[in-house]
Amino acid sequence: MTMTEAKGKPKRRPSVAPVFLGSLALFCVLFGLIAYRAGSGFSADATAVSPPTPQRKLVIRRVVTTVVPGAGSEPAATAGAPVEAEAAPVETAPVEPAPVVTSSS
Amino acid sequence: MSAEHEVTFPAMGSHVRLLIGGAGPGLPSAATAAAEAQSFVADFEATLSRFDRDSELCALNRDRRECVPASPLLRRAVAAGLVAAEQSRGLVDPTLVEEIERAGYFASRAWMAPASLEAALAQAPARRPAQPNSKARWRQWRVDEEAGEIVRPPGQRFDSGGSGKGLAADLLAMKLAGYRSFVVDCGGDVRVGGVDAELSPRLVHVEHPLSGKHLHAIRVSAGGVATSGLDRRIWRDACGRYAHHLLDPATGEPAWTGLIAVTALAATTLEAETLAKAALLSGPVGGAELLRRHGGLLVHDSGRVELVGSLARRPRVRLSQTNATLEVAA
Repeated sequence: MTMTEAKGKPKRRPSVAPVFLGSLALFCVLFGLIAYRAGSGFSADATAVSPPTPQRKLVIRRVVTTVVPGAGSEPAATAGAPVEAEAAPVETAPVEPAPVVTSSS
Repeated sequence: MSAEHEVTFPAMGSHVRLLIGGAGPGLPSAATAAAEAQSFVADFEATLSRFDRDSELCALNRDRRECVPASPLLRRAVAAGLVAAEQSRGLVDPTLVEEIERAGYFASRAWMAPASLEAALAQAPARRPAQPNSKARWRQWRVDEEAGEIVRPPGQRFDSGGSGKGLAADLLAMKLAGYRSFVVDCGGDVRVGGVDAELSPRLVHVEHPLSGKHLHAIRVSAGGVATSGLDRRIWRDACGRYAHHLLDPATGEPAWTGLIAVTALAATTLEAETLAKAALLSGPVGGAELLRRHGGLLVHDSGRVELVGSLARRPRVRLSQTNATLEVAA
């Protein structure tokens, strides 16, 4: 006999049937409980006393690209205007601005 | 854009054109503003003309004192000329009065037919960029606002011609700031402003110096556009040589740099005018570099047009922005 050998009566393993039946019973209880709660409309919002859900505003910015029509002998350019290079849609203007000419001063 | 009041009148050796939109709260009508602006331009010209012996500028140039009392307008004009010289590193030099008179520009050339630019280009010397004058006389000028004086060595003279129209356009723009839209066009140096122009950018056409046709159109929502060129003030001197009003400060002679016109964009017309002159004097390479920041346009001796900076970007599109608001549950 060595020092590692067990002394006394060896442990007996439980039989399969009680373990299976116990697990099945626990599963059924838990499943039934969950099904009951789900069927009764349980939710955190339903049970909590809280004010109506606030509405949140999302502003979606869209960039619109418009090809500038020609003017004069060559097509008009979108000026890199010195201060404000780009501008809002020109469609808002009811009257076309009067033409202005720059020439040698 | 609402209807605009328009008025055009001769001034500063050219024409001044005003387009003024609706008045803001508490402002006089556009017609009244135009009349006041016209009166201001008349005072501006009477004070700053180099060709009117009775002008305050001519009195300053004759004055033998070192410190000369000056009106706020003259002080402002001198200060603007010095700023232009500083920004152009001496290329736009306001102290070349003796040189410009020697070149033949001693009296107004308004309404005089210019000489042929094509013929002048055919006879012009080899092209080269202009350089600042090594003496830089303009650095000896100073505006003393506290004393209300202009300080400079006696005998030196000042020419507001290089910055006068741009300054006039900017001063008029300040007066018209409360109007819905405005355009100030001082002989081709243009200032655009007003909230309507921001919503609907103004179309500014660029005239070709050889053909006179519109070679390009620029949309400007705010700021200045100025063109400097050889085509309007060009003549033959007593020896039959062609001369013009844009001098090489280093030599005092008309500059032939390879460019015949430059259009520049900038935040103000004075800055645009300074950029246009400096770019033309710098020649094709240096000129393009000067215009790169705000954008502009070079016209070469051959008539070829070169777009620079924002004007060169293709395809030319306008970008606008729309906002859509959605209600979504948090």
